[in-house]
Amino acid sequence: MAGSALKRLMAEYKQLTLNPPEGIIAGPVDEENFFEWEALIMGPQDTCFEGGVFPARLTFPPDYPLSPPKMKFSCELFHPNIYPDGRVCISILHAPGDDPMGYETSAERWSPVQSVEKILLSVVSMLAEPNDESAANVDAAKTWRDDRKGFEEIAKVTVRKSLGL
Amino acid sequence: MAAQAHAIDYDPERNYDEDTLAQQREIEKEIAESQPLISSLFTFDDIVEEYTREDEVYRHKIENLKTRYANLRKTRGDGNCFFRAFGFGYLETLLSNPTDYQRFLEICEKSKDELIALGFPQFTLEDFYDTFIDIVKQVKNPGQLEKLLETFNDQGLSDYFVVYLRLLVSGFLQKNEDDYIPFIDGERTVKQFCSQEVEPMGKESDHIHAVALTKALRVPICVEYMDREGQTCNSFMFDPTESPEESSPKPALTLLYRPGHYDILYPL
Repeated sequence: MAGSALKRLMAEYKQLTLNPPEGIIAGPVDEENFFEWEALIMGPQDTCFEGGVFPARLTFPPDYPLSPPKMKFSCELFHPNIYPDGRVCISILHAPGDDPMGYETSAERWSPVQSVEKILLSVVSMLAEPNDESAANVDAAKTWRDDRKGFEEIAKVTVRKSLGL
Repeated sequence: MAAQAHAIDYDPERNYDEDTLAQQREIEKEIAESQPLISSLFTFDDIVEEYTREDEVYRHKIENLKTRYANLRKTRGDGNCFFRAFGFGYLETLLSNPTDYQRFLEICEKSKDELIALGFPQFTLEDFYDTFIDIVKQVKNPGQLEKLLETFNDQGLSDYFVVYLRLLVSGFLQKNEDDYIPFIDGERTVKQFCSQEVEPMGKESDHIHAVALTKALRVPICVEYMDREGQTCNSFMFDPTESPEESSPKPALTLLYRPGHYDILYPL
């Protein structure tokens, strides 16, 4: 069904281009390969990530949208829900059976009617409100919980780095 | 937390979550290779072997089923079996029932706009609807059983059909929210329940899914429950018309439920 996946990804790209959500740009890295996208996410306002522009890669499986894509930041980002290597770990990127983090039952899960846009909006919320209950980066979760000032300092450095300063 | 479970030889550089998921994928692959999505017809003598000689309760129940049913088709245990069994089993009956086919087609053709009106985004819905309706229309030409079986065993097509049935259930529950909210566990809205328990692929079906699907499509089905309780299977009629018991319609199809799994039954 790679044909269906391609058709759907093209429709989503069109949708995102026509109605871009605030603070998000996303599209295929190369129009020859719709299964590999790049996204730019602006740090949400009134958070310690404000002002940053964070690049990420989305990799779609051949059976997308039956299965969710994988998402990985290609910049440094110290955050409880991002693995030290950049991979994003939030509930919407997992089907309900895949439960590496023991997400709450109320957490939003992947289903075929979710979309790239929904994922990226969830990632923006994740930047604004880290979830330290299901940490992918334990150090970041600890710092967020016990030393908020320290966490914000690290975030500020990340924001400046993301702008090449 | 995970860190505790891996206290011995825990390597912080290693990603154990991925290992768990990889193992899960491996099990799913094994099941996929050994079971077709929808099997050919089996007799009860074929399945009786699945139960050991000592398992008297099940053997007794199978003997009892043999007095009422001739065959069964097995479905793959992938969490979608209720939807797939319903989909294939019902379309199979439509092959020889043009009147009901026409009725069903009309309901299906109306459903897309109803789902969009409920807030499902058109661009995520459309592909599933298109595949679904193409498969329904395969039934129009009699003698298409082989083709239908082939379609339902094509992972992509078959899964798209299942997705759309899941969306119909979700739409029905959301539209009749007030009637179903008392049956939803946890502090969840009907919409949350649907996005967690109905729309994702591989989520198993409970009673509420079966009620909603049969009502949404107005297809009466019977389920024979085969568990360790009692001497015979309990049969339950999902009757969308809610008519009194004595005048309830003949089921369009019958499914066999064994804990956690649905297969299709064929009456004598």
